Parts: sequence; C-alpha cells; structure tokens
Amino acid sequence: MLQYLNILLDDSAVSFCHYEAEKEQRLMSIDTLRAGIRFAMMENLMIQYVFPDNTLPKEYYSVIETIDHFNIKRDGEDSDVCVVENWDFSKANANVPIVVRTTKEDLFQKYQLLNGIITQAKRINIIIKKVDSFNNDDFEEYKGILNALGEQVERAYIDGLSPQLNILTDRMMLKEMNNCGAGETTITLAPNGKLYVCPGFYYDDEADCIGDLENGLDIKNKQLYRLDHAPICRHCDAYQCKRCIWLNRKTTLEVNTPSHEQCVLAHLERNASRELLQNIRKHGTSLSMQEDINEIDYLDPFDKRDDWK
Amino acid sequence: MSFEIAKQAIDYLLDEKRNFQEDGVIWDFIGGEPFLEIDLIEKICNYAKLEMYRRNHKWFNNYRFNFSTNGLNYHESRIQKFIEENHSHLSIGITIDGTKLKHNLNRIYRNGKGSYDDVVKNIPLWQKQFPKEGTKVTISSDDIPYIKESVLHLYDLGIHEIHINCVFEDVWKEGDDKNFEKQLVELADEIIDNDLYKDFSCSFYSEDIGKPLKDNGNWCGAGMMLAVDASGFFYPCLRFAAYSLRSKKPIVIGNVKDGIDQNKLRPFLTLNRTTQSRQECIDCEVAGGCAWCQGENYDAADTNTIYQRSVAICKMHKARVRANNYFWNKLYRKLELQGTRDDFEKNRRKVKPIVC
Repeated sequence: MLQYLNILLDDSAVSFCHYEAEKEQRLMSIDTLRAGIRFAMMENLMIQYVFPDNTLPKEYYSVIETIDHFNIKRDGEDSDVCVVENWDFSKANANVPIVVRTTKEDLFQKYQLLNGIITQAKRINIIIKKVDSFNNDDFEEYKGILNALGEQVERAYIDGLSPQLNILTDRMMLKEMNNCGAGETTITLAPNGKLYVCPGFYYDDEADCIGDLENGLDIKNKQLYRLDHAPICRHCDAYQCKRCIWLNRKTTLEVNTPSHEQCVLAHLERNASRELLQNIRKHGTSLSMQEDINEIDYLDPFDKRDDWK
Repeated sequence: MSFEIAKQAIDYLLDEKRNFQEDGVIWDFIGGEPFLEIDLIEKICNYAKLEMYRRNHKWFNNYRFNFSTNGLNYHESRIQKFIEENHSHLSIGITIDGTKLKHNLNRIYRNGKGSYDDVVKNIPLWQKQFPKEGTKVTISSDDIPYIKESVLHLYDLGIHEIHINCVFEDVWKEGDDKNFEKQLVELADEIIDNDLYKDFSCSFYSEDIGKPLKDNGNWCGAGMMLAVDASGFFYPCLRFAAYSLRSKKPIVIGNVKDGIDQNKLRPFLTLNRTTQSRQECIDCEVAGGCAWCQGENYDAADTNTIYQRSVAICKMHKARVRANNYFWNKLYRKLELQGTRDDFEKNRRKVKPIVC
C-alpha cells in the first residue's frame, strides 16, 4: 500500500540512496509543487521533500509548509534526514538520521570516522554506491569492517546506549523484511510533474514514468514490487537488506530480483548482526527479547534455490 | 556467423566447467536453414569434437549435434557425408507442416512455388537414417482447419511422432477454440477407430495435461540453455534476440569475449509458476500442460519483465484439454471392451518430450 511520496524539488535534489542525481539545476514549478501536495493529500500519502543544495525561492517555503512532511537535505539544519557525501560531516545534524553515501573505497579507508559518531547520532544509514562493483576481496574487507564497527556498537551497549547503525543494528530489531518499498509503499514526483518508482528511475530515463499528476498513477505489474512476487527475497531473512528496486533493475533487469552482490552484502551484514546480538547478550539482559538470528551456510540465497521447490 | 565467433563460443563453454556442470551437451544449430552452411557447420562440429577430446572434457562422451532443417538439400552429397561421419551423435528433424496444401501455404520458394514436393521426396531417406525422429508442427489461427488431415498425412509418410503445439503469440480469432477442439476430436476418432494409437503418437493427446497443478516449476527452459548469435552475443534463448522480438529490447546476458553476466541470468533461474502467473492461472483447475514461452511473455508484457505470463493461449489450451479428455475416455473404453488395456499400457509408445 502506498504511504509516501518523495517530491524532488529540483533536478539537482540531493541523492539519499544508491542512485546518482546527475542532472543540472531545474526547479520544480510552483504549480507542480502545489499539484503534488494536492495529489498526496488525495491519496493519503506522507510527503518527503528532497531538497537541492541551493536555496529555493521564498514562495516555495510557504507552499511546502501547507502539509505535514519530512525534509531530506544535505544541510542538517531544518532537516528530518540529512545526507553526508564524501565523509564530510560538517553540516550533519546528530539529532536526525544521517545518511552517509560512500564509495566502497572511501568506506574501507574512512569507516573509523564512524566510531565517534555512532554514539552521538540518532541514527546512521550507510549507503554504499556501486554495490555491483564488489568482488570477493571487497566482500572480505567489508566483513572485517562490519566486525570492527560491531565492536564499537557492542561497547556502546555496555555503556547503556542503543546506537542505530543500519548495517549492524537493524537486523537485530527486525522480525520481517523492511526494505526499499519503491513502487509499493513509496513513489516519487519529479520536477517534470511525472511520477516514478523512485528517483533512480527518473534519473536513468525520464520516459520511464508510472503516471503523472494530471492522469494519475498507473503502475504496471505492480505486484512485482511486492515481496511475495520476489523469487529470491521472499525466501530470505536478511530483513535489513535495502532490496533496492533500482539496483535490482539495473543489475538483473528485473525489479524483483537482486544481484549477487546485493545479496552477499546483505548477508554479511546479517551475519555480523547475529554475532553482535550474541556478544551484546553476553553482557547482560540487553536485547534479550529480540528473536535469535539463526546460523546459515550461505551468503547468497540464490545458491539455495533448489531447496525452495 | 564466422568460424572465429563459433570457436570462441565453444572455447568459452568448454573453459567454464564451473558454470556448465551438466553431464552432456547438445550443440543445436538453428538457421534460417542450417544445412545451407554445411561447410561452416562441419568445421564448427569438428572443432567442438577436437576440443572436447583434447581437453578430456566429460562432454566428449555425451554430446549431440541437433538440427532443424527444411529438408530441401537433405539428399545432397555434402550433407550426406556429414551425416555419415556424425550419425551416432546426430538428431535431425525435418519440418513438414502436413498435407501439400497446408505445407505450401507458408513454405514457398522465392518465386512463390511451394516446396512440398522437394521436401517430401527426402522423407524416406531421413526416416531410414533416423527412424525414431519425429517432426514438429506449429499451429496458428489459419492452420486450424488442416490439423486433422495434416497429422494423418504425416503418419502416412511414415513419421511416427508428431510434436505439435499452438503458437504462444496472440493470434487467435473468435471461434478458433471451438474449431480447434472440433479438429482434435475428429483426429482422436481417426486415431482410435483406425488403431493408429498403437504405432503413432501426437503430442496434443497426453494423460498428463488438464489437471490442477501443484508443482511450482517453470515451464520454459530459457536460461537453462545458452544461445549465441552470429555476432557472438549470448541470450537465455534466441527468442530474446532482437530479430525475434516485436518491440522490446533484446536481453543480452553476455558475449563470447566477456562470458556470461551471471546477474542477468538470476531472474531466469529463479522463475517459477506462481511469481509470473495471475491468480486465475494459479487457481486454474486444468493448468497441467498449459505452456508458456518466456520470450513471448517478455515481448507481450506491459513492462520490461519476464515475470508477466501471457495468457493468449488460454482458450486454446482449454479446448485442447476438452479434446484430450475425449481422446482418453474413448480410447480406454475401447481398450476395456476389447480387454487389451493391459497390453496397451505395457507396449505404449514412449514419446520424447520437447519443451520448446
């Protein structure tokens, strides 16, 4: 069921996920913005405004404020989610979730910067760019980083804190899949007045829309965005996985099928969460109510497909 | 296709043992008309044989070369020499559509002359060399009135196995299902009344079809095979190549230089019935034997997906199921009355299944 509408206020609106927002500035017209808000009201959708770096014309802010909403910005001030690029936390706001978009190379070199932030920030979401470029050496490196970060989180728990780092703590708290939601719970309105599965689909191909504000929403094959129509994911218990619909389509050509790399990363995180949960419990009763995470013998559920028949 | 591309494709397949763990291999040559390029094919086959042997590959003891031919030059010495040299590893099917009238509707020379007479004269030689080979017949809307007489005609020519199916494309007109059912019932009468069921088979009639389905497998074999085009691009089946598609982009899963992109193969290898079917197909009480072609599903889909099953064939399948039920009820009653059912069960023909 649809719940959220992302509104890209400008073509240069900040990317808060795996896709790259590689377009020149083009502001959404104020009429489109008004129509988008009206659409969200009629469809009962919560709006998430995605802001560009530059300041909007003054009249936009009064329109934006006509409805409940979240703000996604690079600048932490007045944001509900702030986005950090290039590991530059200078504008980040510790009181709201921080999305850290990083290349794998930067993550491998700079992950220790998170040590001081994990305990201060309300929440940290790591988004790794170009997931499909991971090779076996990268997977090993990532595994090591998850273990190192796990030790930090464990120490925080010993100190009585409950830090949130998506790649380690989400799986401990989840009892079912909690994924991307593009096309199922969330859609995106672009500056051109058209609706998209997610911003990534817009930036890839403006023609790849699922309706517009004038004629309404028309999601073809919408069942394919649901978990029960995802042949691999519906058997999976890496509940924290992004299951990025845009990455799925990019790498396997199908919105319902993740790449090998996305699956392995999610399972390395899952397994690190399992270890973290066990370690935290050694220190007392913290997280005793959470469900156990079982030991498994695979990193890509695709390899177990013969067991599903 | 150049020999160099074919060579690279063979090398890739033989190098990549990890990804091709099957015990045997079928090298399938599809044209146009493959026997027009018999010199190239012979060179390719010789290279494949030599490399399988040189690498001590397990496929050397378990390989076949497969051809679908229009049969026009089947008798020529170059073709016959190739057959003689490779006979124990060959499967050759000659495509003949049925009666002269039916065959010449579609299979004509450039000048408009029908090819039936030139094909049919090669049938005895082909049947002598490959007595177990059947022929494959595809039915479209315009073919329906000729089904009964065409199958009987192929039996008359000495072809014992007829693999026949309706096309998956949305070509069906109002009333086609009724006419189709009528043809199959009349054909059933002919086969049963004249005891043809003892020596001949027609894949339209199968006891396995027309029941609710419990298994969740995929019907189509796309992705379980590898197709390579003349330029060296890989596809999960040639139905995904540009020249086979009406409007969609081709689905290329790799090439002879870089190999297969395994991520592109994942959707094919995890396809099952329920994830691509609408609810009425999942609940269908006569779903058994209702086939689909992944390429046509993709071509006809509302989005660029292989996960939307085309249902254009639905009413034809249901007509087939009704005629099939008629066939088996009539046959078994006859056998019961004759007291020959046990004999029939003991001696019934084993039909080689052809999926696509």
